[in-house]
Amino acid sequence: MASRQNQLFHDFAMNRLRPPGAVDEQRFMALCIRCNRCMEVCPYNSIKRAGLGSTIGTPYVFAETKACYLCMACCRLCPTGALDKDLKVPAKVSMGKARIEPSICYSHLFLEHDVIPDESLEKIGALCNTCYNVCPLQEKAITLRDNLYPVILEGCVGCGICVERCPTRPRRAINVFPTGMGRVDEAGFYFRKARTHFDVSQTKEPADSQKALGGESLLEQKFRIDSSGKPPEFKFPYEKPQIKGDWD
Amino acid sequence: MYLPYRRTTQFLVFCLMFVVPILNIYEIYVITGTFYAINFGGLGVADPSVILQAIFAAGELSVPLMASVIFPLFLAILLGRFWCGWLCPYLFVSEGIDWLRSKVGLRLLKKTPQSCNGFKGAFKANISRFSFLLAGTALAGAIGIPVLNYINAPAIMSTEAMIIVKERTVSVEFVFVLTLLGIQLVIFPKIWCRAFCPTGSVISLFRTRFTMRVDSKSRNPSVPCCREESCVSVCPMALEPFRECGNLLCVNCGKCIDSCKHGRLEFSGFEHFKKGARN
Repeated sequence: MASRQNQLFHDFAMNRLRPPGAVDEQRFMALCIRCNRCMEVCPYNSIKRAGLGSTIGTPYVFAETKACYLCMACCRLCPTGALDKDLKVPAKVSMGKARIEPSICYSHLFLEHDVIPDESLEKIGALCNTCYNVCPLQEKAITLRDNLYPVILEGCVGCGICVERCPTRPRRAINVFPTGMGRVDEAGFYFRKARTHFDVSQTKEPADSQKALGGESLLEQKFRIDSSGKPPEFKFPYEKPQIKGDWD
Repeated sequence: MYLPYRRTTQFLVFCLMFVVPILNIYEIYVITGTFYAINFGGLGVADPSVILQAIFAAGELSVPLMASVIFPLFLAILLGRFWCGWLCPYLFVSEGIDWLRSKVGLRLLKKTPQSCNGFKGAFKANISRFSFLLAGTALAGAIGIPVLNYINAPAIMSTEAMIIVKERTVSVEFVFVLTLLGIQLVIFPKIWCRAFCPTGSVISLFRTRFTMRVDSKSRNPSVPCCREESCVSVCPMALEPFRECGNLLCVNCGKCIDSCKHGRLEFSGFEHFKKGARN
């Protein structure tokens, strides 16, 4: 349908995820009938109802307050297929991807500076690695590089438990980006517009003045230089200034 | 006498809205969902208008979508707008509002109940609600979002009940229901069910020869058969049952049947089914 192309109703935010098994955002918005059955069966109260806005009434997992614990109870209850019924394995969920910010992650800071630049001067656990310890898919989704600092792997399903437990405040050192966020075909109107402008400027032919300095055209110009015969006469397009001799 | 039975079922359904989330808190998942879509054991039941929206918004027909409307449409074909008249929590509250209006509002507004119905006449009301459904469905298809779900009053009520039980708060949509009830109390009585409700519109479309309906036995149905017009004054849909008893607006509540002193109104439709079976 024509609605496939409609991008006005896309609304992604960091650490705000669809329940596990959600189909892509556009189909989800069409199929979700706001029955809130997923909310009711969630044993951890992870799934919350979206407030005022274009997505009002649809389910979200707000990873910062309560993450998804991948019990997969909501998927099989969805009456319209907005959540994939056949999904039963937590490892196959794709709610998003986590990303560590090294500039505020305690482990990364400790490795770089040997201290934590904390104003309260309290010694907080230097190698915290909480995200590694709480991850339900250890070694698939996250690993400890050199047994020292956490690194996200391809298997991350975006459940957000690491975000919930990350000790840094106010910003979390680890964040989950929901699936679909940053995808060009699903991104916002202005992002796509800017992207097309960027693509056009990349593929555009460089200007002639820059072209003259390279390759064949440079050789051609050099061959034209000829010392035999008369020097070419220049006609200045302006009146020649008369040089006076009393400079020295 | 249908009224006590009807009030009982309405009250039970009204309580069900609150009981389901309480059961779910104790991790009993026999009944889950709201009146957008509810699940009894394994039987999935969804509001047909909601599913219609989803079909147009997603642009696809899938098995779970179709399966969930089988039971409500079966009920509609058998018993007409049984959901509206006997189960819908909105009509239950709406009738309470009408009662309140008859006690308090009329004296303040100095109007008779029939004089201030929005969309006078059943035909106008039908046109209004069907065009509302059509426009909403078209909009859902155009923008890819089931828009009529945002204003589905009974479903919003059950959602709010769940939010009240689970989170001890209400959401923004509660204001919508309150506004609607306020409008019904002060300006237009019965406006939502008569002139807008998309669920009722879809349900009333599924009517066959043997669907249950109210039938009039009076000899000349075009004129009122008694002076009191008792059936007209009780109808929650503001119909004139002596002549419009089989109208698509009728919710089969049976109030007019109870009120008719001469017993000229009765439920019918089943006998056509029997005749069809014999032939």
